[in-house]
Parts: sequence; structure tokens; C-alpha cells
Amino acid sequence: MEKLIYAILSQDKNAGRLTSLLSGIKGMSSASLEEVCLDDITVVTSDVNKADIVASKSTALDFARVIETLSQQYTLLPMRFGSVMESAGAIKKMVERNRAEIVQNLRNVEGRYEFGLKIFCDSEKLMAELKEKAGNTITLQAPEPNVSVFRDYVNRKLSEHRLEEMLVHYVDAIIAEITATLTALNAVQKIKKMVSPAMIIDAVFLIEASLKDELVSSIAGLQEKYPSLNLMMTGPWPPYNFVDFTVK
Amino acid sequence: MSENKILFNTGSFDEISGEIGNLATIEDSKLKLTPDNADSGLAKLVLTLVELIRKLVEKQAMRRVDGGSLTDEEIERLGETLMKLEMKMDELKKHFNLTDRDLNINLGPLGDLM
Repeated sequence: MEKLIYAILSQDKNAGRLTSLLSGIKGMSSASLEEVCLDDITVVTSDVNKADIVASKSTALDFARVIETLSQQYTLLPMRFGSVMESAGAIKKMVERNRAEIVQNLRNVEGRYEFGLKIFCDSEKLMAELKEKAGNTITLQAPEPNVSVFRDYVNRKLSEHRLEEMLVHYVDAIIAEITATLTALNAVQKIKKMVSPAMIIDAVFLIEASLKDELVSSIAGLQEKYPSLNLMMTGPWPPYNFVDFTVK
Repeated sequence: MSENKILFNTGSFDEISGEIGNLATIEDSKLKLTPDNADSGLAKLVLTLVELIRKLVEKQAMRRVDGGSLTDEEIERLGETLMKLEMKMDELKKHFNLTDRDLNINLGPLGDLM
């Protein structure tokens, strides 16, 4: 039997509290949860046969549920689904080798939660709006009767290029507003733009849980400013996107 | 998760979950090379890279046209070249039975190549 690792957390000074919490939760495929401790760091695991791990919705939810429950009471580093080590001894050695990074990462996420923001649009409608707003700057002068097919092709491509540039500027302006709001809330952020034609922004923030309401109201303000976009904010999540180290 | 994680949402939930579902369906954009499809798999990979370079060239060319640094004659020649490149790509796609949607590779957490 190997050990499936769910999360790494700072050891609780109240030794019985974590044990009691773990006894009330089931791990992946209803496995019992265990602690592997080394000095001030605890790793939450369950026994597993590596060959039996199936990546399915149900097992992923089992795995996430453990991390979610723990994160409500502890600062933790969530592990990637399917992180397996051969024994408790190997886990202890891993913690020893990575102690500095683990401690630093735990410090970075302490008292903070992850929130997600996705911004969707009707891309065709948005492009039409931008085109209308831009007026003549997008469309080149009316095609001349004698213009060659090649020149006409370049003109068409140039219009498309200008429209794309406008869309990028539009998205950049929204990102600048989000960034300003988040900086004021002292948040760490990761923002991806133009994920798909319909999803123009996919962002995650790491922020103190107590600032949740403030964040929601800022996002509501942003939605009011951009009524044609659909904003979806989720959280609080464990800091899935803010663990920044590779296990040595 | 038992707790409701959606704190704010103004869109239709069905549309949004459909869109997220589309992003999660990355099977189509994975490169599937097997002994049986080595030819078409390789063609897909090569054409994806060619298409990426073609689009980069086109973008750079449009920047130069927009910047006004090209003469009429140069723009004419550029138009001819870009148009022929696009037509050649269409021919190749048709030959290997590929669509625009096929010419992309999912790079996992980095998203799609194009």
C-alpha cells in the first residue's frame, strides 16, 4: 500500500484537534485519513494502491472534499490529485528535503483564500459594439473600383487586425481595473486573458477571507460598468493556484 | 462541495457551465499519435505549427501596413504572398482532411496554442 497525499499543513499545537477532524472525514474511495508528522509540518494522507487510482469525477470530488474541509480550519498547501509516495518514511524524507519551500509557501497563503473570476462575453456582439464604437478607424476607406484583389485582401486583413487589437485593448483596460481593485485589497493575482472567444478573462486571486464582501462589491461595481459582459466569481477555495514549489 | 461557491454571477448558468465544459473538453485538441494514424497525426502537428507561423507573419505584416512603413507596391506584393499562403494552407487542410479547429494543440495549463 502506498500513501496518497492530500495536503501539507502546519502542525496543530492542539494535537488532538486534527486527529478528531480527520476521523470524521473519508478520503478517496472512502479510505481513512492519517497524519504523517515531521516536526512542525503535517501531511494528510490515506492508504492507496497506486494502480487502483482512477481519475474520475467522483474520485476527484472525494479528493477535493478532504482539502476543502481541512482548509476551513487550517492553512494548507493542497497537493495535486494523484500525488502518491511509497510510504510514510518517504513522505518524511520529502518534507525534510523541501522544508524551506513548504514553510515559505505556508507563510504566503496563511489566513488567505483563493477566489476565481471568469468574465464571459458574447464575442460577436462585443466585436460589433467595438466596431461601431471605432467607426472609421476600423473600416478603411470604401474600396476603390480599381483596387487589386491583393490590395483588397490586405485591406480586409487589416480591418480584422485592427478589430483584434481593439479587443485586446478593451480586455487590458478591464484587467487594469481589476488589478487596481485587487492591489487595494492587497491581493496576489494571476490573470489569463482571451482564454477562448467567449471567456475573455480567467483570473484567480489570493486574498484575506475577511475581505470577501469587499471583493464581491468591487466585482459588482465592475459588472455595472460593463453590462454587456457576464462576470462570475467563485470562492473561497483552498490556494490551488498559489502553491509555488516543485517537490524535490 | 456542499457549500455554494458561486459568490457572484450575472450570466445564464447553463451558458457559462457549457462554456467551461467546452474548455474542459480538450480531447479534440490533444495530439493523438498512434501507429495507425502516424501520417495524419504528424500532418496535424506540422500544419498546426505552419499555421501558427503563418498567423504570426500575417500579424507582423499587418502591424507594418498599419504603421505606414510600406509602399503601395510592397503592400501589393505582401497581399499576394499572404493570400497565396492562405490558399496553400486551405489546400493542405483539405488534403489531410483537417479543419481550422483541428489546427490547434492544447498546452494544458497554458491553454491552447492559438
